[in-house]
Amino acid sequence: MPGKGVAIAERDLALPPLTHEDTDRSTDRARVNQARQQGRRWYLLWLLVGPGILAMLGENDGPSMISYATTGATYGLGFFLPFIVFSFAMAIVCQEMCMRVGAVTHRGYGQLVLERFGPIWGWFGAGDLILTNVVTLIAEFVAIRVGLAYFHLGSGVAAALGLVLVTFTALNGGRYWRWERIALGLALFNGLFLVAAIMVKPHWGSVGHSLVTLAPFPGGSFNTLLLLVASTIGATVTPWMIFFQQSASADKGLTPRDIKQGRYDTVAGAALAAIFGCGALIAGAALATHNGSSIQGLAGAGFPGALKSVSGGATATVFALGLIEAGAVAILTISASTAYAVGECVGVTHSFNSTPRRAVLFYASNIAAALIAAGIILIPGAPLLSIALNANVLATVLLPMALIFLIMLANDRDLMGEWTNKPSTNKIAIAIVAFISICGAAYGIDSFLQAAHLIPAG
Amino acid sequence: MAETHDTNPGTTEPKLRGKERANEELVMFLEPDQLVAHTSVPVPRAPLSERARTGLWALRVFVILVSIMVIYTFASQLK
Repeated sequence: MPGKGVAIAERDLALPPLTHEDTDRSTDRARVNQARQQGRRWYLLWLLVGPGILAMLGENDGPSMISYATTGATYGLGFFLPFIVFSFAMAIVCQEMCMRVGAVTHRGYGQLVLERFGPIWGWFGAGDLILTNVVTLIAEFVAIRVGLAYFHLGSGVAAALGLVLVTFTALNGGRYWRWERIALGLALFNGLFLVAAIMVKPHWGSVGHSLVTLAPFPGGSFNTLLLLVASTIGATVTPWMIFFQQSASADKGLTPRDIKQGRYDTVAGAALAAIFGCGALIAGAALATHNGSSIQGLAGAGFPGALKSVSGGATATVFALGLIEAGAVAILTISASTAYAVGECVGVTHSFNSTPRRAVLFYASNIAAALIAAGIILIPGAPLLSIALNANVLATVLLPMALIFLIMLANDRDLMGEWTNKPSTNKIAIAIVAFISICGAAYGIDSFLQAAHLIPAG
Repeated sequence: MAETHDTNPGTTEPKLRGKERANEELVMFLEPDQLVAHTSVPVPRAPLSERARTGLWALRVFVILVSIMVIYTFASQLK
């Protein structure tokens, strides 16, 4: 097997027993092979895109979009607009590594960490993921609830909607391709935030000025600034994205020949997510001169209700539908990443190409993650607002550990052969880990000292 | 881990053999190391130097400490 490392070289020449997963994946690969042979480049790209766009648009989730809108409403256009673009540039570096490792090794992140570095590190990683995923899933249900509240619908409908969606897409007949296309179809509605941005009629000259100059730089308390920086990073690069894109790339059946298209998929996803994320911030910025900073974005109808008074009912409806979509897609992808991690670490079948009967734990953890989160939002008086605000920060704090193992895997010559990281990629990746660690630690320490009354608040 | 197709030689053998052959032809589109039978075999453990192990544990402790701080702050916000 040219180009691959010795750890995953061919072992047996005899054809081993085939599984349902093998035959389904080979059906998809047959189409890829045919498209490549016929030189149908766009069709080939259509067949191979998916994990990258889903990881990026899945991360443009409910709390992220509310966080962007809150930033816009608080500070207007300025530093955070280009910072969103910068964060997604960081995400491209990280996610490209996931895709490459998945395509070369055909194994998920959790499985590789566990097998290559031992069960302690594997289970630490899975534990981090399950913790942040459950917290984030709660925030997704909250975002759906905020969107639905605009249409006078309550928490029960939000919980039921999310659970029906996860169950329906997961139990659709044991086919990765179908699951991916349903999720992709829904994810494209993330563009509603761009529509909302256009509808608030922003001053496009100011938008361009902010993107180029990073100005005006936000004032106010240092801690709030750290919180927004940490949560913006947590809104663009997270542990679940690492687990998801590597596992989905392997599940989809990507090979080293598909890495070029995998890179297009990742960059396209990041570009779309950055544009739509900026859209949410621009829509939120319409409220900056209308007491926007006082809006409790996760309480009641929050932003959609506030936008209605400034830009009309149509803008508010688009924004509310966007929140429902953002939460719904993230519930699908985050639940899937939980299922992949559990299946990989326990060592049982972990593929959407397996039928539910044959991958009970995989499908059960997929649905259970959503079920726990849905149950929590139905608890009267649960601190949903605080949970949602802290979800992204917790993801940022736990991210460096996941990234370090990803960099180690991407540099593992025994696994990756000629596909290991280039020195320039390593330098950028290490700089990203250092930057994220410093931002997470700065917020964590500063907030802790304030909460413990060891330094004055502010 | 690998769940195989049901094959029961002796009953509907020709039909099953045809199905198996079709699957085998189809499976040629997969790389050999893509098969579940291959990916379910663990890759060998990577040798980690003492320095690397120390670095990983240091980062782990750092991450846990900062996480505790974030969770403490979250809990204090609830009061």
